[in-house]
Amino acid sequence: MTPRIPVTVLSGYLGSGKTTIVNRRLAEPGPLRLAVLVNDFGAVNVDARLIEAADSPVVELANGCVCCSIGDDLGAALDAVAALPQPPDHVLLEASGVADPARIAMTVGYWPGFRLDAIVVAADAETVRKRAQDKYVGNLVRQQLASADLIALTKTDLLYEHQADDLQAWLALVAPRARLVETQFGNIPNALLIGQASPSPTAPGYHGSHADIFVTATLNPETPVNLPRLKAALDALPETVHRVKGLVEDAESGETVLVQSVGARHEITPAPGLAPTGLVLIAPRPTASLDAAVEALSRACTEPAD
Amino acid sequence: MSEITVFTAKKIITMNAPMPEATAVAVRDGRIVEVGTLDTLKPWLDAHPHSIDNRFAGHVLMPGFIDPHLHPTLGATLLPCHFITAMEWVLPDRTCAPVTSHEAYLARLAEVVANEGADEEIVVTWGFHRIWHGNVDREALNAISATKPIFVWQRSFHEIIANDAAIAWMGTAREDLERHPQIDLASGRFFETGLAVAVQAMNKVLLAPQRYMKGLELVKRTVHLGGHTTIGELAYPLMNDQLEWQVLSMTMGAKDTPFRTKMVPRALQRGNFEGSPEEDVRRVAEYAERSTEKMFFGNNIKLFTDGGFFAELMQMRGPGFIDGHHGEWLMAPEAFETYARAFWLAGKQIHVHCTGDMGLELALDVLQKLQDEKPRFNHRFTIEHFGVSNPEQVQRIKDLGAIVSANVYYVHELGEAYWQKSIGYERASQMARLGSLERAGVKFALHSDFTMAPAMPLNSAWVAVNRIAESGAVLCPEECISVEAAMRAITIDAAYVLGMEDEVGSIRAGKKADFTVLEQDPFAVDPTALRDIPIWGTVFEGTPFPIAS
Ligand SMILES: [Zn+2]
Repeated sequence: MTPRIPVTVLSGYLGSGKTTIVNRRLAEPGPLRLAVLVNDFGAVNVDARLIEAADSPVVELANGCVCCSIGDDLGAALDAVAALPQPPDHVLLEASGVADPARIAMTVGYWPGFRLDAIVVAADAETVRKRAQDKYVGNLVRQQLASADLIALTKTDLLYEHQADDLQAWLALVAPRARLVETQFGNIPNALLIGQASPSPTAPGYHGSHADIFVTATLNPETPVNLPRLKAALDALPETVHRVKGLVEDAESGETVLVQSVGARHEITPAPGLAPTGLVLIAPRPTASLDAAVEALSRACTEPAD
Repeated sequence: MSEITVFTAKKIITMNAPMPEATAVAVRDGRIVEVGTLDTLKPWLDAHPHSIDNRFAGHVLMPGFIDPHLHPTLGATLLPCHFITAMEWVLPDRTCAPVTSHEAYLARLAEVVANEGADEEIVVTWGFHRIWHGNVDREALNAISATKPIFVWQRSFHEIIANDAAIAWMGTAREDLERHPQIDLASGRFFETGLAVAVQAMNKVLLAPQRYMKGLELVKRTVHLGGHTTIGELAYPLMNDQLEWQVLSMTMGAKDTPFRTKMVPRALQRGNFEGSPEEDVRRVAEYAERSTEKMFFGNNIKLFTDGGFFAELMQMRGPGFIDGHHGEWLMAPEAFETYARAFWLAGKQIHVHCTGDMGLELALDVLQKLQDEKPRFNHRFTIEHFGVSNPEQVQRIKDLGAIVSANVYYVHELGEAYWQKSIGYERASQMARLGSLERAGVKFALHSDFTMAPAMPLNSAWVAVNRIAESGAVLCPEECISVEAAMRAITIDAAYVLGMEDEVGSIRAGKKADFTVLEQDPFAVDPTALRDIPIWGTVFEGTPFPIAS
């Protein structure tokens, strides 16, 4: 079968900086063929000039019936994307500001031909706590944050240090599963936003780029991997590691498996016929703990089962 | 000018206070010339050629009924399905007898597959309900047919059950279905987000133009069957403007259609990257030039606050839902305010879908702001549906000059279910608090939101007057309304909600000659028998349209 197309759900309430992130992606496309589905209308619109210039398909979802699934546009749009002569490598779905991202993720993540990459929730560092107390949308904002694998925190430069610390402590309570990424002007590297970083066949090492916004480390296990141990090690990774991705050989079956981990969400799926490439770890900025993470994963991969 | 026709009747209930009752009405060129008695009509009849039509001598005439909120396109997708339901459904082309046991359900479905559905690509049936029909699963459907795709659609649309032939017909890779946590292939169940996968496959049949057209013909007859002569399509377009307008024009817009449709556009249309309110104000204005006698746009627009009432997605104020889930917003509150402001400043009548007391609160908070910014009289800001509210909100509705169009049928079908499982007795029993509106003097209409409720104004009136729930229990008699208020709510006050009270809604000189012809007098029957009053048919713009038996 053809591999399922990964979908990154980008959620966040109005004013969270979500659309800026989409605009930035359109303005600076990466090597991947990215399809962008937009399901929102707000103060900031997706820039029409960027849509025209983009070589990736951009689709705005239309209204469906509010009471049932008849005419539901999301499924139809995904089917249309999958049927393109040249289907995209990845879909970025900008969810409506009032959508529950967990539900959207369930719909797109299990849509035939697709799988969930991650739920990324944008939040405005200055206003998110106030929003979370709002009479009308407080529940919704907290629910969105709680569903996040990654939180893209915008406008952190406007906070004093103690405010930033307070905010992080608060987010740890509201969104215990989520990893944090600070962004300015919607600038999140593709590596973090959609996990676009190809495993390098070379030896382990760091690859900094984007003026050190993020770093990657590559790990090539020399022997087949014990999957239960790998899972346990992924669970125990420090919060500074946002994504782990790559192909390794399963010690038990001898087949290749695809490892995809975003924050606290891990998925290991069979990928028979593909050659193992090793694992890539992605973290937001140079950090010593990436060493420890590589070390821990490496140990988990190579130690024999009990 | 044509000859005058005088319809005489046992009784004409005019819903026009200065002359509440009459026995004769003179009609010319689709309009009422005068109403009264043959005696009082004399000056007109002496002066002009006329004929007397006594066919209604044994009948009661009322102003043509008006449903100010229904959805023809939604009805068109449902009506061509096979109804197998626990309650009797009277449809224009069939009467569906109640089916209330597991065995009877499967027997009836087997009959449908063998007969009515024999030539169909897929058999889609609607109305299944576990309480009555037990556990109908893939195996049970396979036993009915191994070759005909069968889709069983649950009564409130939240679940679909399919047989093996149907699962194969969908054409979806089996492993994609197997891994879906909300699809259970063993039992053939598609639910929650898994439901969308089945519906997406079914859409190519459900929305095929020919079936849609056939469905609209059935909607047309359903509307006539209910005794309507005017309806409001309250969120145009449902999906696709081009296709919908074309097919609606061919059916609802046809010469033989015995009713007119006021089209109320969605204030906000997505799918074109033009998400600015100014753009939408322009788009709505451009619809006007399409208007015809039968289908026309006016000064109204539709906005939404919170989610669907049947789906339990209304936004509730504290203490919320028993199970702790949250409702949803159909648009962000800020976006609602932005759009409401743009159309308020453009002088539009704004209809707002509100189902929970928090959704209503948002609508009223925004209306308060708009009144502070630019006060308007006679703006007719309309609360649509009016599911859960509190008495203080009724006072605010009045203070701000808003009006209400209510789906009171909620009380009948959902009152007890929401009492037991959703929000408890106090708030569930008081849903659609129309008694409070009547006492406060707030104008309100009754609507069906078809297919959310049967498109039967006398049925809605029966619920509003008696508040009888599914089991027969009466829920919150304090919120019952008078028969007079209920009759206004399906005639003159419904016309007011659509901004058409100058043309329709009562029987008086100058208005459209639209009548609903009843076999009994709603003011004379026992109020609990209101919904049982037989309807002979209608008179639309002077022409009688009997209901074909
Ligand atoms: Zn509606």
